[in-house]
Amino acid sequence: MYAYTELDQKLVDERVEQYRDQTRRYLAGEIPEDEFRVLRLMNGLYIQRQAPMLRIGVPYGVISSEQLRALAEISRKYDKGYAHFTTRQNVQLNWPKLEEVPDILADLARVQMHAIQTSGSCIRSVACDHLAGIVADEVEDPRPYAEIIRQWATLHPEFAYLPRKFKIAITGSRQDRAATQVHDIGVHLVRNATGEVGFEILVGGGLGRTPMIGKVIRPYLAKEDLLSYLEAILRVYNLLGRRDNKYKARIKILVDALGIDAFRNKVEAEWERIKAGPLKLPQAEIERVQASFQPPAYAAEAAEDSSYAQKLAAEREFAVWIERNTFAHKQPGYRAVTIALKDYLKAPGDITDAQLDAVADLADRYSFGLARSTHEQNLVLPDVAQADLFPLWQELSALGLARPVVGTLNDMICCPGLDFCSLANAETLSVARQVQERFTDLDYLYDLGEMQLKMSGCINACAHHHVGHIGILGVDKKGESYYQFTLGGSSREDASLGKVLGKSIPLAQVAATLEKLLEVFVEQRQEDERFLDTVRRIGLDPFKERVYGTDN
Amino acid sequence: MALIIDQQLVSEDSWQRVDEETLTREGDRLVPLALWQASRDALSAQSGRLGLLIDGSVDLEEIAEELPRFALVAVHFPSFADGRGFSLARLLRERYGFAGQVRAVGEVSRDRLEYMRRCGFDAFEVPDARYAPELVSAFGEISTLYQGAVDEPRPIYRR
Repeated sequence: MYAYTELDQKLVDERVEQYRDQTRRYLAGEIPEDEFRVLRLMNGLYIQRQAPMLRIGVPYGVISSEQLRALAEISRKYDKGYAHFTTRQNVQLNWPKLEEVPDILADLARVQMHAIQTSGSCIRSVACDHLAGIVADEVEDPRPYAEIIRQWATLHPEFAYLPRKFKIAITGSRQDRAATQVHDIGVHLVRNATGEVGFEILVGGGLGRTPMIGKVIRPYLAKEDLLSYLEAILRVYNLLGRRDNKYKARIKILVDALGIDAFRNKVEAEWERIKAGPLKLPQAEIERVQASFQPPAYAAEAAEDSSYAQKLAAEREFAVWIERNTFAHKQPGYRAVTIALKDYLKAPGDITDAQLDAVADLADRYSFGLARSTHEQNLVLPDVAQADLFPLWQELSALGLARPVVGTLNDMICCPGLDFCSLANAETLSVARQVQERFTDLDYLYDLGEMQLKMSGCINACAHHHVGHIGILGVDKKGESYYQFTLGGSSREDASLGKVLGKSIPLAQVAATLEKLLEVFVEQRQEDERFLDTVRRIGLDPFKERVYGTDN
Repeated sequence: MALIIDQQLVSEDSWQRVDEETLTREGDRLVPLALWQASRDALSAQSGRLGLLIDGSVDLEEIAEELPRFALVAVHFPSFADGRGFSLARLLRERYGFAGQVRAVGEVSRDRLEYMRRCGFDAFEVPDARYAPELVSAFGEISTLYQGAVDEPRPIYRR
């Protein structure tokens, strides 16, 4: 993972002191409420329904065992002994006290963590494939570029007060595990006709009230032009994005209003004037950052271990977990392991302090001290030798972190909803429990095949319901929680937005409705179709009929 | 109104705002863009320096040629959340080579001063209610600067 220099460390340390002073001045009445709100959001602090909420950055999802331990300790010292992993690969504390946040940030800075720009109308995040550096089909590892973009964006003096939030995602594999097509800027590592590696740039993707799939603004960009091009996009957005209506202020609205061609013309006119300047990215800087992302010291003989195959044959539950929760690794003898934060009846994405400490320990023993967070609210141990898989599975099982549900209905993405979030219109956690209680037969879930269920408690779509195979949006109808279903969304390389099924469903009937949808799927599917494929093939009518009967 | 120039409080400000009624005033006059465009000749005829007051809606290309006529460009920030002025100041300096004073006016307070400075502002009008002498400690509060900007054009990897 990226190794902080003295200057990197200084930045986070000085930022803590800056925010400490801002907090002091705010509590002394020297900063108006609305100004402090902007400042605290740029340090990740929300004032939420029950308590403040602090969003800590996990840049492009990479986290060390030391950092996991620090999170465990912080959750004990300042919070209620647990944390929550988000769909942006970040981690949240739900109960910090406003006046203690500078101390939390100081504790985080000691382990090279921070909450800089994790909220606010600024560049908030650079999301990345959680299997970066692991999958064989990567053009190149995207993480060094994610780090380069992160530094360019951090405390950027020109772009701290954008019309609205801004999120970037980058992937190096054709398989898009970073939802790049629904980010403000999506970056794909690609090869051009002569085999050189560069970037395809997409712009204007996003969810929320006006979901849109990103459009290609530039099919090929040389590596050295990455930052100047991003700068040009941000400058055009900063100057021309709408500031009159917060629901129409994202870059996707501007791109849609101008049309991609006119938008591109503006960006490239700006880019022409800056691309030869100091933003040109030297190969030496790329190599400096890449040096932090070299493969770990893999054991050359890892694939020769015979115990793994023996255990696979002898232990059925272990074999199921391998199939469900682990990924093939380009290094022979290794696999990547998902730590599913989707335990039965627990809030998706939540992890206790004891679990954090345990995962840190497991990362040290089995994965070179590193872990990843995924935008599906799980964790990953990226580099586990096959001989270690069985003991790891046993330990994860004892911790409640080995539920073999990855890629199934019970791997749902779910926002905290009405229980916690002041923006929410509906409960989500009780619905998640309802679904889990209904669908306990794992064999049935496996037979359903790949299923991405995503549930948001409001139109802000933090759980990305628009791009769920099944999406559920909680709405408020006369003070009660109701749920609108969408079908056929995807956040992957075949990105699509789900279509609304029909009238919203009362809370008590959500699981039953899911059952009906799945019945139709099982009846109608052909060969190895996923649910998503069947929806795309047969459309929504058969599903509508089953759920609503003849009246809609 | 507290005026900070080059990171220090100054007690005197020769610049005065003009409107339709005070068009014929002499001395250093700060003129809103629309008024300038309507009354160039009348304003140019008076003695004293000219300053241009713009806001986030300006198209700098439209006024680029006239910039050398001004000793001052003031950029108005209508709210704490409005960030257009940062790009405008940067473009004034880096694109159009404006060498006069670039002054931030409107919603100007301690916690945005350093970003403003980095983007090319060298003067700041801070409302009295928001001013305290400690305000200047905002400059240089964070010493690690990843990006190039007006103050230092080279990104950190080029230094």
